[in-house]
Amino acid sequence: MTDDNFTKVAEVGDIPEGEGEGYEIDGIEIAVFNTGDDYYAISNRCSHQRAPLCKAGDEKINAEDTWTGERGGLNAEACTVSCPWHLWEWDLETGEHEASGQRIGTFDCTVDGEDILVRI
Amino acid sequence: MESSVKRLDRDAEVPEEAFEDEIVDLDFHVNPLEDELLTYVEDDRALDKLTTEFGPTPVMGKWDAAYGIKEGQEGLFTQGRAKYAEDVHEACENIAVDEPIVNAGINNLNLQHHPVLKNAVCQAANDYMLDHFADEGMYTSAMIPKWDPDYAVEEIERMADEDNIVAAYSWFDPKVPWGNEQFDPVFETLVENDMPLLLHGSLAYWPQHSYIGDDMLTWTEVLGFDWPIHAMVTVVNMIMRGVFDKYPDLNVVIQEGGHWWVPFLRYRMDEFYEMHPEDVQITPRKMDSGETYLERAPSDYLRDNFYLCTQPFALPRRAGDAENLLDLSLADEMFIYSSDWPHQTLDPPTWFYTSRAFDEHTRERILSGNAREILDI
Repeated sequence: MTDDNFTKVAEVGDIPEGEGEGYEIDGIEIAVFNTGDDYYAISNRCSHQRAPLCKAGDEKINAEDTWTGERGGLNAEACTVSCPWHLWEWDLETGEHEASGQRIGTFDCTVDGEDILVRI
Repeated sequence: MESSVKRLDRDAEVPEEAFEDEIVDLDFHVNPLEDELLTYVEDDRALDKLTTEFGPTPVMGKWDAAYGIKEGQEGLFTQGRAKYAEDVHEACENIAVDEPIVNAGINNLNLQHHPVLKNAVCQAANDYMLDHFADEGMYTSAMIPKWDPDYAVEEIERMADEDNIVAAYSWFDPKVPWGNEQFDPVFETLVENDMPLLLHGSLAYWPQHSYIGDDMLTWTEVLGFDWPIHAMVTVVNMIMRGVFDKYPDLNVVIQEGGHWWVPFLRYRMDEFYEMHPEDVQITPRKMDSGETYLERAPSDYLRDNFYLCTQPFALPRRAGDAENLLDLSLADEMFIYSSDWPHQTLDPPTWFYTSRAFDEHTRERILSGNAREILDI
């Protein structure tokens, strides 16, 4: 942990562009997403049924026989991630789900050299 | 102080405790590719017609999820598409399901209009499931045609002899309800073969060009409430027409038809029946038997002959409310876990571990005990 409470979770290159990865920091689950321009950290658990958001964008089973190929996923342009189970769409900056008004936690996330840091 | 950081296990999507328990999933959909399914059609004449440009299920359902879900019709495959047993195993590993009870999931079949062609699809689906699932050691429910009770009997008898066929799968829908006496041979054959009847929601939905059907504009109304209404009508119809006096050992499972209506049915059926029971004697089965009344209170049949799949669960957030509702709904006796994989209303077993509403007994009965009992697995 750094002096300003940032914790290193990964290094640049560990999280491919357009994808996310899940971490547990002191017992708190977070998902870190790489939109290409930035990294975002958000609670890893959807408030609906506690689906792990880090799995958003995973390839479906027999993806070639489905239409979209992925379970939910990151929308870099809208800066949202949709849940892999029921497609609830979460704003990565505010943690808000617009339709229900519910919010989940978001966390400051920054890159320092090669390190990706999250502040809990 | 140094923070502890660990990368999460990508293969575990539900709480750790779920992997320690035994979980039976009574509604896991397989989706064969159309071309492969059709290779199993035995009758050449039927096959010829099923492979025209119309395909095997030409009648489109008016109602679908396309306007309600961002990915449109993709809602049918939100999690993927299981074609073979290894696909099902892969999906189950992440959500801690130990025993999926698979079905061919052709839920728009009874919406189609041609009974002979529908029977051919039914036969093909069952043979596909035998080859790729039952013979691979996976428990399977055999699809039976509601539109043709004679053929349903034939299919039950044919499939019941096969290993790992544990239930018959059909639909509740806005058509002839299952209390009708035409289904007696089906019930008799199911009881003889000790198979429960699984009744899943049907894509027939509320009939098109009807006042109610045409004015349901949202998916919440259609899937959320059309199905439970037809499920309730089916349940009450079977009870009040004396199906279970004639077939007391018949077990019926409602899939995706809701479950929180159990208290409503329990108290309303009993009160109405006790106030005004005189019409029961003129229902056809009672006319035959000469009995005047039902042998038991209506709610007793609900409790003993029906089981309800849990998905979509819609569990109250407050554990106290949820616990009360579970008690009133006789959940430990009637509820059976279902995931509905791979659809957009998927329910992994997370609820059972994150809500304090479940004691150990109720959790065990819902997640495996009730299913094991009626499936005899």
